[in-house]
Amino acid sequence: MSKVIVVTSGKGGVGKTTSSAAIATGLAEKGNKTAVIDFDVGLRNLDLIMGVERRVVYDFVNVINGEATLKQALIKDKRVDNLFILPASQTRDKDALSQEGVESVIEELKADGFDYIVCDSPAGIEKGAFMALYFADEAIVVTNPEVSSVRDSDRILGILQSRSKAAERGDTVKEHLLVTRYSPERVEGGDMLSVDDIVEILSIPLLGVIPESGSVLQASNSGQPVILDKASTAGMAYSDAIDRFLGEDIPHRFMDIEKKGFFKKLFG
Amino acid sequence: MEIKGEMSMLNVLHLHSTNVKEIADQLEKKRDEVPSFFLNSPVIVDCSLIVETLAELDLAALKQRLIDLMFVPVGVRGVEPEQQAAIIKAGWSVLRAGPKSSKKAEAAAVAEEASESDEVKAPAEVEETPVASANISKLIEKPVRSGQQVFVEEGDAVLLTHTSAGSEVMASGSVHVYGALRGRVLAGVHGDTNARIFCRSLDAELIAIAGRYQLLDEGDTDLRGKPAMIRLDGEKLIIEALD
Repeated sequence: MSKVIVVTSGKGGVGKTTSSAAIATGLAEKGNKTAVIDFDVGLRNLDLIMGVERRVVYDFVNVINGEATLKQALIKDKRVDNLFILPASQTRDKDALSQEGVESVIEELKADGFDYIVCDSPAGIEKGAFMALYFADEAIVVTNPEVSSVRDSDRILGILQSRSKAAERGDTVKEHLLVTRYSPERVEGGDMLSVDDIVEILSIPLLGVIPESGSVLQASNSGQPVILDKASTAGMAYSDAIDRFLGEDIPHRFMDIEKKGFFKKLFG
Repeated sequence: MEIKGEMSMLNVLHLHSTNVKEIADQLEKKRDEVPSFFLNSPVIVDCSLIVETLAELDLAALKQRLIDLMFVPVGVRGVEPEQQAAIIKAGWSVLRAGPKSSKKAEAAAVAEEASESDEVKAPAEVEETPVASANISKLIEKPVRSGQQVFVEEGDAVLLTHTSAGSEVMASGSVHVYGALRGRVLAGVHGDTNARIFCRSLDAELIAIAGRYQLLDEGDTDLRGKPAMIRLDGEKLIIEALD
């Protein structure tokens, strides 16, 4: 049974694409046949983060318009088996996404035996974001620990539960909270909201907390999903989140300030 | 002068027995628990549970005992039409029956009061005034998120979870929030000045009852984040602790 997961946030720049890449890669690493679709038509980024920008021939819009087959457009990842990327078109805009077109692509992926279809939503609440969430069974809401991001996530949660296909059927979309760019030091200093505050405001289950980490930017620049960087805290936190998503019960990490030992203090 | 049928809050005494002494003793005990609340308060006697044995009840004595206990007897309800003559003869007025549900609600206790809104009629008034529709409430089980709007055109809004900043809840009646209230909330939007707002944690951006509104800025109330009730007193919104 395939599952459609939307990675969404409302606000831009919070880490949706980074998270989509990490989540899709993580799911595939666990042996699930996974496709990740870039819904950000016109502002294509996922291919960069996944390091496949030079392999894009056909894109999502080409498939919707029948100019290419899904097989031609899907890019197979070279690092992880079972992982496929469907890039967005850079030369079109979001109006190119028709509901029927998106539905036919998702149905075809399901028929192809994909276990997970990860939809990387664009920012905003306009057509692109709406199309990305419309067919979702589950939603991973990416939030930064600051008020505007939390409010936008709240808005998206409202749309998910009122305007998605599941909501129209009377079902609910399963919600997960992913807090990214978390910095325990700045939470302590009062500059950032704590995880507890965010969970209280949004009242949805916490999937993971990804600490602010230089390795995320490094990974993006080198086109390597950060989850593959097994030594970085962000990579480990994404791996934990995937385990939790797949039903394991593991404690949250990297939420407290790292205590420096005497020598570490002396020598840095 | 003017005479109007209006809704008011009244205590209703539901009788489970026809023994006046027993009723009066229990009532006295109840009254002494909160004397300030019951002192000189009007009371309606509901006979729907003892309607078969109503003849055994000494209504004149009951009225006197109520007066002795510092209540103001208003009238009797829940009786059969053929019993009305006797009741009026005993010095009572007869009121239209309240909501049917009250019949089965009470079970064990002999006498029990409940605050209930009912139509009060001046004794001289003719029997039939338009029947006010029973309060309809709408239950909202999911959180009201930022950007969402809930409007209960007729009746109360009952929210089981929270409302978010940037949301709006409106009702022609009262608004009950069994969680944090963080958005805008407007009760009595059709002008019902008796509508109230209740919440488990007050963090609203804007509160309004019957068109009188107030922004809730930092420091406007020390009840922020606490259980609260908001009511309208004249033109002023009063925020009270609720626990």
